[in-house]
Amino acid sequence: MSQAIIQIDQLSKRYKEASEYSLKDVSFTINAGDKFGVFGPNGAGKTTLISIICKLFSQTSGEVRYFPANGHDLSIGFVPQDLALYEELTAQQNMEYFGALYKLSKAEVINRTEELLAILGLSKVAQKKVKTFSGGMKRRLNLAIGIIHNPEILFLDEPTVGVDIQSKNAIMAFLEELNETGTTIVYTSHHMEEAEDFCDTIAIMDYGKVIANDTLKNLYESYNVSGLMEIMILLTGKEYRDGV
Amino acid sequence: MFVLPLLLVFIITIIQDSAFKIVNNNQISMLVANHDAGELGDNLTKRLANSGMFKVIEKQEIDSLTLKEEIARNEALTGLYIAEDFTQKLQDLSGSLSARMLSDFGIGEAEAKELSIPSIMFVHDPVLQESYCQSIIGMVHAHIGSMESARMIESIYAEMGVEEVPDEIKQNIARNHVTINKKPASVNKKMVTPNATQHNVPAWTVFAMFFMVVSLGTNIVKERNSGSFQRIKTMPSSFAVVLASKQVVYMTVGFLQVLLIFSVGAYVFPHIQLPELYLPANLVGMLIITLLSTLTAVSYSLMIGAVARTQEQANGIGAISIIILAALGGVWVPTFVMPEFMQIISELSPLHWCIEGYYILFLKNGNWHDLLHVIIILASFSLVFQLLTYLKLRIDKII
Repeated sequence: MSQAIIQIDQLSKRYKEASEYSLKDVSFTINAGDKFGVFGPNGAGKTTLISIICKLFSQTSGEVRYFPANGHDLSIGFVPQDLALYEELTAQQNMEYFGALYKLSKAEVINRTEELLAILGLSKVAQKKVKTFSGGMKRRLNLAIGIIHNPEILFLDEPTVGVDIQSKNAIMAFLEELNETGTTIVYTSHHMEEAEDFCDTIAIMDYGKVIANDTLKNLYESYNVSGLMEIMILLTGKEYRDGV
Repeated sequence: MFVLPLLLVFIITIIQDSAFKIVNNNQISMLVANHDAGELGDNLTKRLANSGMFKVIEKQEIDSLTLKEEIARNEALTGLYIAEDFTQKLQDLSGSLSARMLSDFGIGEAEAKELSIPSIMFVHDPVLQESYCQSIIGMVHAHIGSMESARMIESIYAEMGVEEVPDEIKQNIARNHVTINKKPASVNKKMVTPNATQHNVPAWTVFAMFFMVVSLGTNIVKERNSGSFQRIKTMPSSFAVVLASKQVVYMTVGFLQVLLIFSVGAYVFPHIQLPELYLPANLVGMLIITLLSTLTAVSYSLMIGAVARTQEQANGIGAISIIILAALGGVWVPTFVMPEFMQIISELSPLHWCIEGYYILFLKNGNWHDLLHVIIILASFSLVFQLLTYLKLRIDKII
């Protein structure tokens, strides 16, 4: 049986001045080595959930428990949907800056920078300013920064949005490799096909609640469907969620 | 970060130095239409020309209307129209006053007659500011006063039956007996000569330094909105370290700006016909004021960055607030010429205290005791700005 890396118990969040809860009694477990997908319509509570797990916000009630391998602090990697990069700096300088903030030694930063930029096809542009990069190159650098410190668990918010097919393939292939080396990956996306190919465990959210949570295979069997999109439509409906 | 502030200080010093020289070093052009039938109009014209302060252009043939037109056509900055009865009226006035004085002493008898006061028309280019006009009128008045005194003494001698005033008396009347030694106020014995550079370089350097709000304020908003701050929050390093590192970088930039501008003022200005910047004797004091000024500027910029929601807002609020604080702080117009309530308000501007610190050092050669209150106030401003930044970032759940 897999070992839990994060356990979420009765987690609720209501923002100040909000009349309704953004998260209500959410409970599930992410196991070490999972490729865990969190899906749902806009406003379902995915970003709030990940922000609380990543300790960006505090919850109103409930608990998030972390089970790090070393018994100290769980090493978290976070790749936001926004390109959190310094455009005036080069790719290497960005890596060095964030590497230093992860408290890596100079040698570790240099080695990881060289390694990650090579894997993600950015070695040739390591000394170029990020502002000259294409959308796909920025996404790949955004990902490289999130894992420079070899995190135990990596949170990815729409990691392939707005990139070409080549960058998308490179990113997804790299994430597969990363997972094979033991990194747990928590992933949100609106690309259902990409999610189906990548994730093994899924949580579907709507109106701040987890309405389905199981392995992809079990979900197909339970709902008697052949695709993730069908489950999504079945559980969350076809109506727009613009006002949610 | 460096070129534009330097250019700003250059331009302002050149402009202010020219304005300073216009009434002190440069000759002011003066068109004189002397229609006086007597000798005093001519005498006044010669005195003004010999004073060295005016470049006198004599045009006896033009009337007062033409004189105004010629000034309007930029023939000269100023003009004097001396009417044909100027000497007559001045003599009548002097004679009457001296006769009255002698009659008071029981010598002769003063005739009671109605006198008209002599006058001169002063015409000026509208671009000439009121303060300059008043200075010029004051100079003309000083010469007329001297001539008037001479006439009175001549009249007294004449009333007493002495035809010719002795030469020694004439020479004594012609010159001022009281010399005024102009000394700038200083809190110790070392004198500092104030000039356009000494006034403008520190003030405009502070103004330029505070403009880092546009860069740092925008940078904070950009990082907050791009998710960089969120990413940093997931990292083991303290967010305070990130903010502190930004402050150190911007303080270094501010410090280098000051170093560069002051060095140019001290070593380059004299070679381009601008007054030299004399560095204060208390160099450590200057370093402390510079450090506190840059810290205050950085703290203010951080606060604007924390408060603004968008980069455009940070740019707008930052730039306009600095211009307002600079105006209040006395960058353009010294605070002592402001109305009393504005002088009180000006003390709320951090720029006022930065400039005050530099003025104590550069213009008054102040010591640590004189600087103490400025140091405390600047440190307090920094603390308040940092505290407000912290609170806003806390409210926004960024730290």
